[in-house]
This record gives sequence, structure tokens and C-alpha cells, in this order.
Amino acid sequence: MRLWTIFRYEFGYQLRLPWPWLFGVVLIILSFLMTRDGSLSEVLYADFFLNSPFAVVKTTVFGSLIWLMMAAAIAGDAAARDRATGMHPLSYTTPVGRGAYLGGRFLAALLLNALLLLAVQLGILLGVYLPGVDAALIGPFRPAAFLSAYAIISLPNAVAATAIQFALASGSGRAMAGYFGSFLLVFMGFFVASVLLYGQGLGTLADPIGIRIIVEDIAHLWTTAEKNWRLLQLEGMLLQNRLFWLGIGGIALAGTYLSFRFAHPREGGWGWRKGKKQALAPHSQNPERNALSIPQVPRHFGLALQARQTLLIARTSFNALAFSWGEFALLGMLPLMTLPVLLDQMESRGVPLVPTTINIIYELTGSLSDELSRWVIVPFLIVYFAGELVWREREARMGEIAHSMPGSDWAPLLGKFLGLALMLLLFLCLQSGAGMLAQTLLGYREYEPSLYLKIMLGIQFLDYLLFALLALVLHVVVDQKYIGHLVAVIAFVFIAMASLFGIEHNLLIWGASSGWSYTDMRGFGPSLEPWFWFKGYWLAWALLLAVGAKLLWVRGRKNSLLLRLRQAPGRFRGATAYAGMVAAGAVLLLGGWIFYTTNVRNEYLTTSEKKARQAAYEQRYGRFAASAQPRLSAARLQVAIYPDERRAEIRGTYRLLNSSPEPIDSIHVATAGAVETRALAFDRPASQLLADEQLHYRIYRLETPLQPGDSLQLHFQLLKKANGFSESGIDPSLAANGTYFTNSWLPAIGYQSGRELLNAPDRRAHGLPPRPIIASLYDEKARERRGGGIAFEAVVSTSAEQVAVAPGALLGSWTKGGRRFFHYRTDAPLGGEWAFFSARYAVQEALWTNPDRSGQTITIRLYHQPGRTAQLERMLESIHASLTYYTRHFGPYPYSFLTFVERPGRGTGMHADASMITYAEGFSLWQPMGDEETPDVPFAVVAHELAHQWTVPYAPVEGAPVMSESLAWYYAMKVVETAKGEAHFRRFLSWMHQPYRKEIRRGEPLLRGLDPYMSYRRGPFALYALSEYIGEAQVNRALRRLLEKYQAPAAPLATTLDLYAGLQAETPDSLQYLLHDLFEVNTHWELKVEQATASPTPEGNWQVRLEVQARKLVFDSAGVEREVPMMDWVDLALFASQKGGAAQAPLYRQKHRIHTGRQTLTLSLPEQPARAGLDPYNLLIDPKREDNVQPVVPEQAQAPAAAKRLSQQKKE
Amino acid sequence: MELTISNLSKTYTNGRPLLGGPTESVQALKGVSLRIPRGMFGLLGPNGAGKSTLMRILATLQEPDSGNARLGELDVINQKEEVRKTLGYLPQEFGVYPKASAEELLDYFAIMKGIISRKARREVVESLLRQTNLWEVRRQKLGGYSGGMRQRFGVAVALLGNPRLLIVDEPTAGLDPAERVRFLNLLSELGENSVVILSTHIVEDVSELCTNMAIINKGEILLEAQPLRAVEALKGKIWRKLIQKQSLPQLEQEHQLISTKLLSGRTLVHVYSPEDPGQGFEAVAPDLEDVYFSTMGGFYGSGQRKQEQVL
Repeated sequence: MRLWTIFRYEFGYQLRLPWPWLFGVVLIILSFLMTRDGSLSEVLYADFFLNSPFAVVKTTVFGSLIWLMMAAAIAGDAAARDRATGMHPLSYTTPVGRGAYLGGRFLAALLLNALLLLAVQLGILLGVYLPGVDAALIGPFRPAAFLSAYAIISLPNAVAATAIQFALASGSGRAMAGYFGSFLLVFMGFFVASVLLYGQGLGTLADPIGIRIIVEDIAHLWTTAEKNWRLLQLEGMLLQNRLFWLGIGGIALAGTYLSFRFAHPREGGWGWRKGKKQALAPHSQNPERNALSIPQVPRHFGLALQARQTLLIARTSFNALAFSWGEFALLGMLPLMTLPVLLDQMESRGVPLVPTTINIIYELTGSLSDELSRWVIVPFLIVYFAGELVWREREARMGEIAHSMPGSDWAPLLGKFLGLALMLLLFLCLQSGAGMLAQTLLGYREYEPSLYLKIMLGIQFLDYLLFALLALVLHVVVDQKYIGHLVAVIAFVFIAMASLFGIEHNLLIWGASSGWSYTDMRGFGPSLEPWFWFKGYWLAWALLLAVGAKLLWVRGRKNSLLLRLRQAPGRFRGATAYAGMVAAGAVLLLGGWIFYTTNVRNEYLTTSEKKARQAAYEQRYGRFAASAQPRLSAARLQVAIYPDERRAEIRGTYRLLNSSPEPIDSIHVATAGAVETRALAFDRPASQLLADEQLHYRIYRLETPLQPGDSLQLHFQLLKKANGFSESGIDPSLAANGTYFTNSWLPAIGYQSGRELLNAPDRRAHGLPPRPIIASLYDEKARERRGGGIAFEAVVSTSAEQVAVAPGALLGSWTKGGRRFFHYRTDAPLGGEWAFFSARYAVQEALWTNPDRSGQTITIRLYHQPGRTAQLERMLESIHASLTYYTRHFGPYPYSFLTFVERPGRGTGMHADASMITYAEGFSLWQPMGDEETPDVPFAVVAHELAHQWTVPYAPVEGAPVMSESLAWYYAMKVVETAKGEAHFRRFLSWMHQPYRKEIRRGEPLLRGLDPYMSYRRGPFALYALSEYIGEAQVNRALRRLLEKYQAPAAPLATTLDLYAGLQAETPDSLQYLLHDLFEVNTHWELKVEQATASPTPEGNWQVRLEVQARKLVFDSAGVEREVPMMDWVDLALFASQKGGAAQAPLYRQKHRIHTGRQTLTLSLPEQPARAGLDPYNLLIDPKREDNVQPVVPEQAQAPAAAKRLSQQKKE
Repeated sequence: MELTISNLSKTYTNGRPLLGGPTESVQALKGVSLRIPRGMFGLLGPNGAGKSTLMRILATLQEPDSGNARLGELDVINQKEEVRKTLGYLPQEFGVYPKASAEELLDYFAIMKGIISRKARREVVESLLRQTNLWEVRRQKLGGYSGGMRQRFGVAVALLGNPRLLIVDEPTAGLDPAERVRFLNLLSELGENSVVILSTHIVEDVSELCTNMAIINKGEILLEAQPLRAVEALKGKIWRKLIQKQSLPQLEQEHQLISTKLLSGRTLVHVYSPEDPGQGFEAVAPDLEDVYFSTMGGFYGSGQRKQEQVL
């Protein structure tokens, strides 16, 4: 068996090499760390076992990714070693068949890779079972969890990746081409699958690694219980994905087999004809032997030569890369793919975003520390390029000649770095070009070249440069190509996931800074100053590393690291020594200064220290949680904002009212950590019992207790001012333009349970009792009302050119001492959240008059960025429609004013507080095209936020988000329906039905719903369905009564149970089952029209026959599915034409009783129907909505006609 | 100006330092001392004798464990940068960027060697390409060059900047006879002002070109001589005989056998003997090959240095 011999030899050979072992060790260590550290599971916010099948699968996926990035050498070497070493004339001429030769090599590489991936499972096992883990985190040992993760994720990955790497390396004769295979796969996973094909539903199929399936889909789809017990099954999309990639692997192998020849490889690529023609030396046999005369020319050494050499090497390095596949990937593929990505990303949830330059740039840039960013491939390419450059001369076997040239080692080091830098610069220029092209294609003309210049060629370029230098230095120091590659990839993993290694401070993570931000309103704000300091510090390090690389630069051969280290001190002289000393000095100086400002002038806490503080807060003061405290009933504030100095001074007075039945003798004040609380005083004698400045807890003892019903005043003075910068930068709340902060800076009264540690493992680690994320729905204690309305008054001052905003009606504004003052006061009590703003605002004012002739008017003020007016009209339209509908159906609006404020930020969302709605800049850039197809989503969002003004005071228990968000969305749907008409409303509904995470969220029923799908989609759908079944008036009446009942100051807080009871009272007995299905259990229906035919009757009518199929299923809270018998009322509708979708008015719409299984319905109609739908408006939750409606086929027409009609419909 | 090498030693440690595998050491140079005057110097030795190690040390690419080398006033070991300014090196094995043309690459190296002025560079590059007979193919890709052309290109690179020390390591290995002649012609024309070290295992290379030579084996210099004088010194001491192959072992015991050669199916042996060994041996006029083999056999050179100092 020749194949066996080749296989055995190859396997044994690679096992004797160092790197397979290194790869294995690295994989074990990294998967161990990933298992131990939950940082990757933050997205999952749930608490599950360390060895739960899901946790194992997740680590397996990330392990595969790291394996892919570093271990391509194995397949590459197996495929290309013979040619790379020049041994191919020997091996190609043996009597071995192609199949045996390739097969043996491939299988050996595959086996090695498969074994390597076992290291991931080993790492997980060690992570779970080595000491140091809380036993409560470990579930029962299930071998199947590990086996299924390995068999379903790792093995197919190994086959597909090895095949592709092998094919590329074999085709090019270069082992490093294997890394190109890895690059292609990472590119597919992060770029193509995650971004481009996501919307098309192909993303999950096209993802070669499993990132999308596991981290994005299953992580959100499975309940916590499922994550703990459910095994990954090879089914559905996952099965298709695995088969697809095995198929791709098979194709790659077949291609390798078919194109492989035992022949001398032709000379390089496309130009081979030219290359093959051997240069023929002219045989000039000139007999006269004249001595060689080489012209004597001047030569220059020293700095001039060094500069010239550096530039020369930079140019040749750039050229060398410019004609490599990697360059093609970086400069061709990426910018080319960037364009569709940009076009695709310039929308938010189906509604276009104005492609302002910063919006585009945010898509084009990514921090190195974001391991899931699509730009993760750039550092990967940098590592590859650095290796190619460091090894360029030696790989061409020209090392000895090149190394014997005069000139210092600085020239090659700097030259190569410059070559790499040049390429990155070109890449970023091309990316910027793609950005501007995208803007042009989207019809946007206000390019801001200076912003591209600053961010792309400034910030992002520097980030890449720092990493490029690191990669270059690592390759120089390691001086073994594959291991250099491995070390550089590890360095990247370290940068991206430093917290895995317990390292957090920016001074310790290569190239890290406190980041930057930019918004049109705020500009860079205060983010650049710390950024410059940190980057300066890292540049100094970069210089120091470059000096190190220069000292360890390889010249000649057989220079082990040890030898080079021994020689290094001798090389440390002249300019090198000077540069080294300057760099070391700068590192110390800058590092020292940064450390002083981040850790001495400001407080620096690691994540675990922060958690420890939170734990200490609860341990020390939790006992006061239940002690009676006065409640805040009025606040009078004087807020002075100094935007240019980024300083704010706040003086305030609280009125604290004892609404408890007993006297209160001590007041607990929670101060804010972010500000300096300068003075705190009561209007009656009190003494400070405790002032814990670390946990921000103070207790004052009143000399005379505060009697029930009595009140006192608390005066305070605060100062907010950046003190240098902290490790995370400077709080951007105070900015030269675009100041925005909330009352979280102000003192609060009593123990703040919101400051407690939430995460269950953290609580366990600190010995705290378990704390549910939210109280049970049946927890009566949680329904007690704490606090009440607050009378609010504030005078806010700011610089002369800015406008300051706070809640309340604007009573007056004046200028004094070069500053502007604004006086706000509310005419009805406010809730507990208030925000303050200052910016160069323009104000749009409008007046809403209640159409009920009561004469009620509301002053509407829209504070916006000057020039950003495109959205204002839509907002006003929505505000008017909403106020009209809500006041008519749900009760009066309590204030005489309504404030909308734009604030810095990219998001498209809005935030509602009492009487004040704020939105980030993104919202004003979120503009539907105004065509017939797209619904006016921003209109609906405004209506939704306004609906929050009618929110029923609800208890913080399970189902709370349903009480707040579901109701507000139901309100907004009604406003859209009323204001925009039926057709637009139908379009809006289908927008609402677009995948929102995932359609069916298994788990808790709506009454206990917590997650966004439940509260933003499932809830409003349920209320809307109910309004269609029992009537809008009935539902609205139930909601209005609910609000009236629980608005009363003495009433307890409402829960979903009260909502449910209210709806039950309005629902006829015949439909109580539906209410139950929608709210009490997690139900879904599977409804389908199988066949619809129509035949004319002699009377001129049409007889319609419908074959329909129905099923009803219920999920329990663990996600287990169970079918239940069905006998439900379901909408049946017939439409006159194929076109128009749900927006078309039906010929017939009636509710029919539909039972489980297949059934036939017959109807008679005066007109010929074209489409028939069972629940065509999707009132019932159905995972497959598209089969609810089918074309109606005329009776006499047989199957072919039906097929034709179907295909016509598809074309439409 | 001359190159003086004193007591150079170099030991290789083989093994896998990374994994801490077993190590074994090979002493590549054992206290080598040589005096190399201006002109062509041949360093002759079998494969693995330590020639390339010595060449690389002289070419500043390797550190000796001990000993030193001086080129005139320059310390080769410690003043590498200065040496490189005046060094031309043609390694035993080298490649080229296959996609570059001879002209481009030579221009590149001209800059690297400090010829910054464009005009001067053009002049030098043209001159070198013409004299290495590559002028007409200067625009072709180096990937398509034959071994000899590549070797000549290597000489052109080595000659850039008029080196005072030119090191040519096994340049004729793998060349066909015509190319070899052409190449040696080229070397013979090298200026008289430089130290040119030609390392080779081919005796003819040395006999045809060099005025001085040394024979090295197993890291030791066995002989340092002028070829003509060395041959002269062997006169009357080399005898030959055609024998049957089977009588070789016996002959080997009785005589100081220096070389055997097949000649029309029989074996031609050369032996070293100060007087006529009789037994049908006939005197033969020695050539450098006999010098080489006598030295390698230990009958001549370092073993007998004291008696026959040939300088």
C-alpha cells in the first residue's frame, strides 16, 4: 500500500517538527482560558454550566477559528514541501500514483489537524475539571456533549479547511498559500456570511466556521435550560451547512487531484510562456583576455546610503507584496467587497440611513480588540505580510548575498516596515474611496475628505501600523516562519481577548487606548486627548521594539536566538543606542504620566475590583434596603454648564417627604461616583454617622426624627470636571458641543439595589445569595409603590451661543454675564429620570390643540442640530397623530409641554421620559425613501415613544417589559393604522413581522416575557390580534381602565396579570381560549392552505374549495414542544387579484373554526377569487407565514395550469 | 594588503534547541590560520571540509567561536560593517528573484553597495553586465537563466563596488565544461589589487587560476602552498601502475596509496614514495591532483610541514 507508506511517512515527519506540538499546546491553553473565562458568553447573559453542551460547542467554534488562523502550515507543508525544498524531481519520478501521493499527504495532514482540534476538547475538559472552579458551575459529565461538538463542528471544519489549504498550497507550490486558504474561510465567515448574505438567509449556510450558527443564531434562540441540556444535533440548517462545506472541501480535493501533474512546475503563473523561454547567452568567444575593468565610481556610506537603502527596500517590499495573492486580497477583494457591504449597512432595520461620512467610516473601521469585527482579517493579513517580508531574501536564497551588503540593519528593518506601511496606507485609501463611492451611489454628496483623512489615514492607520510593527518584530525575533506566524497570531489573540488573560489596563495591551468616538454633533469630543497620550506611549514602545528587532536582526545564518541575544549588547551603540535610550525614556515618561493620571489622579479599578465593590456595597449596606426612607417629592436645581471647560456645577435642593407610617431618624444618601459631591446639608440639625467615599454611601442622623407626612430639605453642591483622564478616557457627557447627562450624577436617597451585583456566577463568587434577574410575577412585595411624582424646577445656564434644555416648560430665558440662563418647571409631577442638555441647538416649536374642543393645548419643542431638519416634519406629524389618538382612547396628557431633544450618538432609537423624549443623531439620519414599498418606521417609533407617556405604572417583575414596550407598540400600531391608512399599516405590519432575532422564542409565555422579542414583537402582535378578534374598542377600553386604576397614587404597581385580567373582562367566553394561548402559554400555530380551487356555479357565483392544514403547538418554559388539540377561530380571506399582498381589500373575510389536521372548506362567492388565505394577516403566531396564502386555481384547469400560475406568481 | 587568519575555530551544535533534543557537536574549523596575499587564492578541500564555514566567517555572515581575521587594518570579526564596504561575496548556493531582470537586480544591489548616483550606477551596471556577457539578456527574467548565467550574474553582484576582498565559494560546481571555462576566464581577469578567495573541491580550478592555495580537510589546514612549487616539490615521488582491481587491497597495505582511477576497466593507482617502489611502478610527473591527494593522504603537507616548508 503506497498510500499507507506515504501517509505514515508524512505523519511521522510532521510529528517530528516543532510546530504541530506548539499549535496543540496553544490550542489547549486558549480553550482552557476561554472555558474558564466567561467573557465570550457576555452576549448570552445567561448562567449555564461550564460543561453544558452549548458552552462546549461555543468554545469549540472559537477554538476552530484560532486553529484556522495559525495551523495552515500543516496542510500547506504537506502539500508543498517537495516543491519548496526542491525535492520534487526525486519524489515525482517514483512510481507512485497521483492518488496515493496526494491522498497520503492529505490524509496525514487531515489526521494531524483532526488530532490538533482534539486539543480544544482537551482544553475544555481541563478548564472544567482542573481545580479552581466553583462546583456549582459544573454539570454532570456528558461525553456526548464533547463528542457531538467535535464531530459536528471540528471535524467538518478540519476536512473543509485542510482540503482548501492543501489545494492552494499544492497548486502554488508554496506552503504559505495554505494561509490564504484560511484567509478565504475567515473572510467567508466574517465578511460574506455575516454581513452580505445575512439578510438573504444564506449567511448561515455560507459560514464555514460556525460562528454565525452558534454565536449569533443558537445563542439567541436557545433558552438557558436548553443551553444546559440540549445537544447540538446535525439537522436543519446546521446539517445543510456542514454538508455544503464538506462538499466544498471535496471539490477542492477533486480539483487538486485533477490539476496535479508529476511534472516540473512551470515558471510563475501567467507569464510562464515568456519565462520558459530560456535566456540564451550569446557565446561570444572573444579570445583577447583583457583584464576586467570595472569603472571606479564614487560610493557613499553613512546616513545617505541608509536613507537610500531604506527607501529602496521599502519600494521593493511594496512591489513584492503588490504582486502576491495577499495583496490581491487586501487591495482587491476587500475594497471590492466593502462596497456592497457599505451599501447594505446604510440602513437600520430595513429603513435607509443617510450615508454621512461618519456613518460610512464606522463601517470601515474596527478596533483590533474586537475579535468579532469583520476587519479581523486585516491583522491576519498583516501577520502574513510581515512574515513574507522578513523572509523575502532568504526564501529566494539570496539571503547571504543581501546580508553581506554594507549598511546597517536599520535599512532592511525600516524599509520592510515602510513597505508594509505603504501597502496599508494604500488599502485605507482604497477603503476611503469605496466609502465615497458608496456615498455617491446612495446619492449623498457631502463627502468630508478631512474626516476620512483624520480617521482612516490617521487613527485607523496608526492602529494597523502599531500592529504591523509588532508582527514584524515577532517574526524577526522568532526567526522561524511558521512559529513566527503562530506567535504573531497569539499576540493578536492576546490583544483581542486580553481580558481572557486577566489583563485589562490599556498600558498593558499592545496598541490599546481608551478609544475614540466621533459624532457630527460632538466631533471627537474629549476622546482624542487620551487617545494621543496612549498612542504616543505605544509609539515609544514601537520604537523600543524596533531597536530590539534591530539588535536581534538576523544576518548570516545559524544564528539562534540565544546567540543573537548574546551579541545584542555589542550591537547596542551609536544611533541604535541613542534611539533605544530615547524610546525607553519616552516609554517611561509617557507611561509614567499616563499611569499617574489614570491610576493616581483618577481611580482605576479592574473588572474584578469593580465587582468586589458592588459585592461590598450589598454586603455592607444591603441590610438598609428595607429601612424606611423619605421619598423625593420635589427638586429645585441650578445647573451651570461650562461646555468649553467641560465643567458643570450643580446646586440643588431636594424636598424629602416621609410617606411611611413611622418616623424616620436617619437619612441614607447615595452619592454618585462620577462627580465630586462638595456639600450636603439638611435644613434641620443632623449629624453625619457614616461617609463611605469608596462605596458612596452616607448616613445622616436627624436630631429630631422626621414624622410621617412631614418633609425636610436637602441642599447639595456638586462639581463635575475631568481630572486629566482615566483609563477608559474622559467622560464625554460634557462636551464643547453636545453636553448630555442625567440625574445619575445627583444624590439619591436610600439603598440603591440597582448598584448590586447581578450576574449569578459573580454573586456566587462573592458569597452573595442568589438574586433573580427580576422578581417573580407573583411577588406581591415588588408591587409596592416606592416614590411618586416629583415636582421639578431647574435653572440651567450655559455658554452664550448654546441652548440648555431640561424637563419642564420653559418659563423664561435670559443672558447675564455672557452666559445664557434657561428656567424650566413642570406643571405635573415628573418621574425619576431627568436629563440635561446643552448644545448649539435650533428649536422648532409647534402647538397641538386637542380636537375634542376642550381647548387643551400642548407646546411642542423640538431641539435639533441646526441644519438637520429633514426628520422634523415627520416627527411633528407623528406627534400630532399620536397625541390625538392617545388622548381620545387612553386619557389626558398630563403636561402642557412636550420636549424632543437630539443628543450626540449614532443609534437610531429614542428614549422616553416623562414629558421629554430624547433621540440620538442617528434617528435624524434614519429616513425612509418615501416610496410605496417602505413603511414609515421613524413615524411609528415617535408614536411608540409618545405612547410611553401613557405607560401604566408597572412593577419591576417578570413581564415588566411587556407592560411597558408591548403596550406602547400596540398603541403605536394603532396610530399608524389610523393616521396612515390601511395599506400603509399592512406594510408596516409586514415590517414588524420581519425576523427580529428569531421568530419563535421558545421559553416563557408572554405574561412572564422579558426579552426583546417578547416585549417588542410578540406582545404587540398579541394585543393587535386580540383587537382584531374582540374589537379595538374593547382592547382599548381594557387598557384605559388599567391605566386609570393604577395611575392613582395609592394604587399598587400593575403587572401583566392585571393586564390579563382586564383583557379577560372584555373577552367573550368563546374567545377566552385565544387569550390563554396568546398570554398564558407560549403557543404557535402552523397554518397552511394546501390547495384552493374555484368553479363557476350556474347562478353566476363562484364555488371555492379550500384544502387547509392546521396544527397548534405549545412550548413549555424549557423550550420543549408539545402539540395540543386545536379547534380555533381562524381568519379566512379571499382576494380578487394576485397582486397587492395583504394591503388589498379582501372579497371575503370571515373567521372559521379550524381543527387540527387536514380539512376542506367550501364557500360561495359572487366574484372569482385569485388568492385564498388562512390567517392571511398573521394574527396568530406562525413560524412559516409564507404558506398561509395560495393562488386559487379554476376547477377545470388541471395541474399544469396550476403550476404555471404558481410560476407566474413567483415572477411577480 | 593581505588577509591574515589566525586560529579560527567554529563548532556547530546540532539538535533541536527548542525541544531540548539530543545534541551533538561537529567541529567545522579547528584553529585555522592562513595568510592570504593579493591575487587569486585557492582553498581546496573535499565536501564538508569546512570551506564554506570559513568563507562565511570571512564574509561577515558567521561568528567564529574563537580566533580572528584581519583584512589589512580591518578586523573582519568585529568591524563587519567596514569589511562589508569592501567585500564581494558569491555564496556556494544562492537564488535570485525569478521575476526580476538582471539589470533591475544588479541596479538594486548597486544601491545597496552604496553607489547612489544614478549615472554612476548605470555605468557600473552596464560595464559589469557586458563583461559578464549578460548585456544582451539583461532585460530577461532571472528565473529563465541557466546555471552558468546565474553564476556569472552572481559574480557581477560580487564585483559591484570594486571589492578588495572577493570571496567565491564553490563557483564551478554544477557548471558544464564550457560554462566552467567561461566562468574561470572571468575570474582570472579579476584585478590584481584584490584578495580573491576561491573555495572549491575541484583541483583543476585551483591549478588553472591560483597563485596561492591551501588544502583544508576536517576543519584543518593541511597545506598552504603555491601550486607550482608544491608540484615541483613532489617531483620524483609519485609513481603509478595499472593493476587489476582485486590486487588493490594488497597494494594498499604495501604502499602509500594516494589515488586510484579507473582506466579502461583496470585500475590506475598513484602512490607516494620518495624512492622507486619497483614492482612495475613507473615514475609520473606530478600534478596538483597528486599534491592534493598526497596531502589528503597525510604524506605531504601539515604532517611534514617542518621538513618541507613550501612557501
